[in-house]
Amino acid sequence: MMSSIAELQKQVREGKELRITGDVDNTDKEYINISLYSGVVEYFPEELVITLKAGTTIQEINNTLATYGQALPFFTESFDKTIGALYATSGPEFSDSVLGVQIINGKGELLNFGGQVMKNVAGYDVSKLLVGSMGRLALVTQISLKILPQRIVKQFQLKQPQRHKASELSLNFESKLKKVFDPYEVFI
Amino acid sequence: MSTLSQLKRALPKNTVISGSENTRPFECDGLSVYKQEPLAVVLPNNIAQIKKVLEICRKNNTPVVTRGAGTGLSGGATPLKDSVVLGLSKLTQIISIDAEKKIAVVEPGVRNLAISEAVEEFDLYYAPDPSSQIACTIGGNVAENSGGVHCLKYGLTVQNVEAIKMLTIDGEELSLTRQDEGLGLLALMNGSEGLLGVITEITVKLTPKPELARLVMAGFSSVRDCANTVAEIIKNGVIPSGLEMMDKFAIEASEAFAHPGYPLDAQALLLCELDGDIDSVNEDLNKVLGLLSNATTTRVSENEDERLLFWKGRKAAFPSIGRLSPDYYCMDGTIPKRHLATVLDKISELSTHYKLRVANVFHAGDGNLHPLILYNAGRPGELEKTEAFGMDILKLCVEVGGSITGEHGVGIEKLDAMCHQYSSAELDVFHQIKNAFDPNSLLNPGKAVPTLHRCAELGNMHVHHGELPHPELERF
Repeated sequence: MMSSIAELQKQVREGKELRITGDVDNTDKEYINISLYSGVVEYFPEELVITLKAGTTIQEINNTLATYGQALPFFTESFDKTIGALYATSGPEFSDSVLGVQIINGKGELLNFGGQVMKNVAGYDVSKLLVGSMGRLALVTQISLKILPQRIVKQFQLKQPQRHKASELSLNFESKLKKVFDPYEVFI
Repeated sequence: MSTLSQLKRALPKNTVISGSENTRPFECDGLSVYKQEPLAVVLPNNIAQIKKVLEICRKNNTPVVTRGAGTGLSGGATPLKDSVVLGLSKLTQIISIDAEKKIAVVEPGVRNLAISEAVEEFDLYYAPDPSSQIACTIGGNVAENSGGVHCLKYGLTVQNVEAIKMLTIDGEELSLTRQDEGLGLLALMNGSEGLLGVITEITVKLTPKPELARLVMAGFSSVRDCANTVAEIIKNGVIPSGLEMMDKFAIEASEAFAHPGYPLDAQALLLCELDGDIDSVNEDLNKVLGLLSNATTTRVSENEDERLLFWKGRKAAFPSIGRLSPDYYCMDGTIPKRHLATVLDKISELSTHYKLRVANVFHAGDGNLHPLILYNAGRPGELEKTEAFGMDILKLCVEVGGSITGEHGVGIEKLDAMCHQYSSAELDVFHQIKNAFDPNSLLNPGKAVPTLHRCAELGNMHVHHGELPHPELERF
């Protein structure tokens, strides 16, 4: 299991047909397991910003945020899940709170998009684009989120969002974007 | 047959404008120091006509620059040489309003404020409010992911768009909604500056009007005290609907122009608006007032007239600065709020260095700086000096972990600044995203993302969100 960026990059560069998991018990060789790449990188309650390694569990994040009376402003069904897993499987209700990501693309390059600020329109918003990418475009290593006070999140009535299939044309663009991030098809 | 003749033949009379006399109003957007005469301006009346324009431009390899109201401040709608400007200002239909679901479906040329006006009878409004909202179009707002004063609480454009329809350069209609499975294509289109497609329809989220809004105005004897108060308000669980700061120069200029009653002895002014139901506003108000022990003056709006009067100074800040100088350059950058006092100190040092005055207004809630640099374009070399000053401010934003643009976009204005914020590998990803949607680079080419060559020529060392080299190393 990998616990540093350099090791993760090496695994991507040398890997073929990789899958990504945050499940600590999964020791299958074809998986990149990011459960050890976890922890709060930075937390600024007065900025409403937290930066997390992708393997950090929702439980751990909630515990950290609770010390300042703050909370994640989106639906989380399982506290054992990692923030990386949630990022990979969610939609706009999650990406609305994403401020930035650090990723390792299919070429093993470490890239940063977005940051820790609320407003940022420099370049395409890759940090929101990759939400819902199911780990098929890049290995997400670090995520910065906008968080809110608990008293405000409590008013939201968060629930599991409804989804429907994207159009054929959308899927066509998705496959083109897959090639942008993972030209050698390392991630499956 | 030329592109122009083909356009004229395919489209109704008065839809195609050509000749330098006629296209002059379209030679620039809000960044009026840069002007370029286009090949033609086309103002279609419907989507079929937009398709026609795209078809003709595609066949002739003619670049297309989509334009809304032309209020953008970064040159996103500046024409390119031999390009067709595709102006969508005639597409002003509000297609439907669903007050139950709190959404409205609108054409791209609908003005931002016109949406709020149309849904007022349902006690709803469209929340994002860029300062150009009386003129700017919703299509332009999506293209730029526009912000405004109320973003901290209500989000930017991207958080307030439910769905869009757009035409690809091939004329195919791409429909994107928040419910779509898969990648965040809808989010990608917000802020894509007209490089990926032409937006033809937008479904916006509507927000219930708050029962009550009250504005707290507080003066401080130092910027640092004011900035610390901003941090304390947020740390204490209050999310104001607006949280604005102005420096001494901006306070004086606004007071002289709009007479809102700002304290002229203050070094910094805080405007903190609280909205919601009556109980929560009063609860928040008490919390905020309890955090203002450092303030030298404090006033709370007692009625709507007074609230609007307090706002008037802030909203008139740009024109009031404009009165004091032949020209001013409005900058836009974001920083983590904790660095505010340091950044303002450095801007003040730069102001001395460049011998150019600067006034600061600031969306303090979301870290969005708007320094206004005063200059005189009539003096040889002063515009260049102003731009160099602006670039130093943007570099500073990146150095402290912020961004070169919070809400104005990159356009042509900030291509060089992009080289500071992103590595070549990251810029390459942007170019490839463009290529995935527009392989022949016909949609607003050359905007928003600098070529790697351009960055190499500048020789800029980019600083990664304030990170140190070797981010893989743990630091404590």
